[in-house]
Amino acid sequence: MATEDRRSYADGFGQVSRTVGIIFRYLLLAATLFGIAVLAILLVYVANDAIQPLTADAGWHLTFFLTLVLPSLATGGYLAWSNVDGLKLGAMTLGLFVVGLLFSGGVAIIFLEVLPPLVWFAYVIAFAVPVAVTVGLQQRSRQIPFVSRFALATLAFYLSLFGFPGIVGSYAELPQLIPSVATLILFAPIVPLDWIQLTLTVGVFAATPVALYASAISDRRTGLIAGAAALATVAASAVVGPAVVGVGPIPSVVLASVAVLPTAAYVCGTAVTREQARIGLVLPVVIVAGALAGEVLVDTLGYAGPQSWVDWQFLTSDHSGTAANAGLYPAIAGSILLMLTVAALSFPIGVGAALYLEEYAPDNRYTRFIDVNISNLAGVPSVVYGLLGLGLFVTRLGQSTGTILVGGATLALLILPIVIISSREAIRSVPSEMRQASYGMGATRWQTMKNVVLPRAFPGILTGTILALGRAIGETAPLIMIGAPNVLYSFPSELSSKVSAMPLQVYSWASYFATNDFYEKAVPAGVVVLVTVLLAMNSIAIVLRNRYQRET
Amino acid sequence: MSQENMSNDNVESPTEDPTDDDMLLETDVTSGLEEGTQGSRTTHERTIVEAKDVNVWYNQDQALRDITMQVPENKVTAMIGPSGCGKSTFLRCINRMNDMIDAARVEGELYLGEKNVYDDDVDPVALRRRVGMVFQKPNPFPKSIYDNVAYGLNIQDIGGDHDAIVEESLKRAALWDEVKDQLDESGLDLSGGQQQRLCIARAIAPDPEVILMDEPASALDPVATSKIEDLIDELAEDYTVIIVTHNMQQAARISDKTAVFLTGGELVEFGDTKKIFENPDNERVEDYITGKFG
Repeated sequence: MATEDRRSYADGFGQVSRTVGIIFRYLLLAATLFGIAVLAILLVYVANDAIQPLTADAGWHLTFFLTLVLPSLATGGYLAWSNVDGLKLGAMTLGLFVVGLLFSGGVAIIFLEVLPPLVWFAYVIAFAVPVAVTVGLQQRSRQIPFVSRFALATLAFYLSLFGFPGIVGSYAELPQLIPSVATLILFAPIVPLDWIQLTLTVGVFAATPVALYASAISDRRTGLIAGAAALATVAASAVVGPAVVGVGPIPSVVLASVAVLPTAAYVCGTAVTREQARIGLVLPVVIVAGALAGEVLVDTLGYAGPQSWVDWQFLTSDHSGTAANAGLYPAIAGSILLMLTVAALSFPIGVGAALYLEEYAPDNRYTRFIDVNISNLAGVPSVVYGLLGLGLFVTRLGQSTGTILVGGATLALLILPIVIISSREAIRSVPSEMRQASYGMGATRWQTMKNVVLPRAFPGILTGTILALGRAIGETAPLIMIGAPNVLYSFPSELSSKVSAMPLQVYSWASYFATNDFYEKAVPAGVVVLVTVLLAMNSIAIVLRNRYQRET
Repeated sequence: MSQENMSNDNVESPTEDPTDDDMLLETDVTSGLEEGTQGSRTTHERTIVEAKDVNVWYNQDQALRDITMQVPENKVTAMIGPSGCGKSTFLRCINRMNDMIDAARVEGELYLGEKNVYDDDVDPVALRRRVGMVFQKPNPFPKSIYDNVAYGLNIQDIGGDHDAIVEESLKRAALWDEVKDQLDESGLDLSGGQQQRLCIARAIAPDPEVILMDEPASALDPVATSKIEDLIDELAEDYTVIIVTHNMQQAARISDKTAVFLTGGELVEFGDTKKIFENPDNERVEDYITGKFG
């Protein structure tokens, strides 16, 4: 019976309509493209106003097209076709160098304008001495009980930073009997030259990871040689920089430590370890050589470049009443100082709160209440945080308006919920098997956290914090609320001096100084600088996150 | 349901075929047993872990009912049973890993040596330093092989020559020859079977008295499994090994004593492995072992 009913399906199985689904799919595509296109057009428009590429001679464009664009595209295309890993490596190297350049600019500004190298040097040494004492005590952890070690370490820090009787004594109006290490260096009759101070501090900070990296790839001896070579490079740059390139010794040392060393270490390391991909290092060489060759050719042939507003003058001048002379320098420095303050305040508090809530807090109605409220606080408008900062720090605590400290503290409050949430996520993503293994070995909660959870969660925590800092750097409203000056003619040099920031400066150019010149030129130029800094920060976060995900 | 029971369900060994079991039992069991008992192990049995009326609840669900058993020293004791029968829960009672689960509640007495581990004055962290544990899924730390093995030595602040202890532990875990040239490399770069032997080396480095193993071979291929089994056999010369397994043939091959847990958290039968597999007293145990259910 059933067999007689069976059809032959000679006509196929019929059709099922997908019209609605197809329409839906293309609507989604349209929405996506619309959003991206609007953003892209805006950015292109701003960049065009800021850099004005069309003002350049046709010969200029042609020269750079032939020396830079064409060879880069050819190399990139060849790599994309033959060796994708190599392309990634090349792009990574170039990105590392560019981001390093940007950061060395920031660090150099600090040493040139805010923090005299001698002060920095004195405090680094004053910290290094007690740290060395603490490490030495740790080596003898079996002979000396913890409380004694802790007391000795605390004493070492106090003596080194404040001397005896130090700040406690100054309250009791006792005379200073023993100067601190910092004071000793600050008032020493003979101090090394400023670039030597920086080489011994910043240079050592940069050379240590290079040495560790080299010894991880090869052996300890290679690591030592690499570290010494790195330090020698930094020292040499202080001599070579002024003589050859015309950069002062301080920026030269910073440039060598922050931009050149990491790139060089990365290039050397990958050239040794990743033989398949190292052909990709051709790409940055082609790009840099192309840019240099183009520059030389344009100079000799006499072609004029674009009348860009983002130029050296714009980056290094103070604000001015005329757009042509206006610059972003105090605002750039202000943003950097604000970022440092925000990071110093929000990182320990945020990560501490996240660790407590994730690892220690019992699961009860109070912690759930706090959970919900932290998520809500992340969505509170920034102007409200500005009001909070004004009320709390200025009115209650009597700070003056618009200082670095008040601005930084307000922005730190603003991003604290984001830091807490992202840090908690990073901590939560540590596999529970790892914790179980550690507890199963008889580790205490503190040991588990120190040895297993924190090392594993740290890249994630760092990523979240950097992204949160990226939000803080773009905030305008809280700064207006706490009375930060719109424009600044002089440089903020200490925590209690008034500060402006890049977005605030751009905002004031677009409102109070809104002449056509400002509106069409200075504002886009400021936006380009701000977006570049943001992208540089975010790129670090993205690289960190990618590396982290690959390992898990 | 407790998390633990759920995870047990997920790793139910897919290879168990009841008919195979039947045919293999005769030969496998006896050969395994002879190997196990031939050695120079003392016939005199000293009890090292003793449970008296242990009951465990996860919230309202009772996971273990009145467990009473005596685990002999320097022997391999296997715990078998279907998923969710509470054998892993019992294992985790011994080093109080169940303390980590908020919902878990333990009643009864459980002695390690002379001491009830659930006494108020027992520090669970100190207890776990005397009891090594190897988990179902290999879980080395994302550290170097050396640091993995030395982890217990470092956190327990054990002095002495760490290099020598690490080497000795890796040799005992039958891993030394494979990794002696790459002690600085990450433990995660090893294969699954090597990782599990690394975890065993890590567990024995601080020289515990008892080693608990929670289905240590269930995530491994047959070759790696057989290496782990040989290793367990050797470890029993110096340590008391308590192992939870889904694989009845494995229990028959490597254990001296076997405890059969059945659904509901009951310990149905406990005795010499040979007797359990050849002539169990309990009908349900016989049904389980011959593959009629479970």
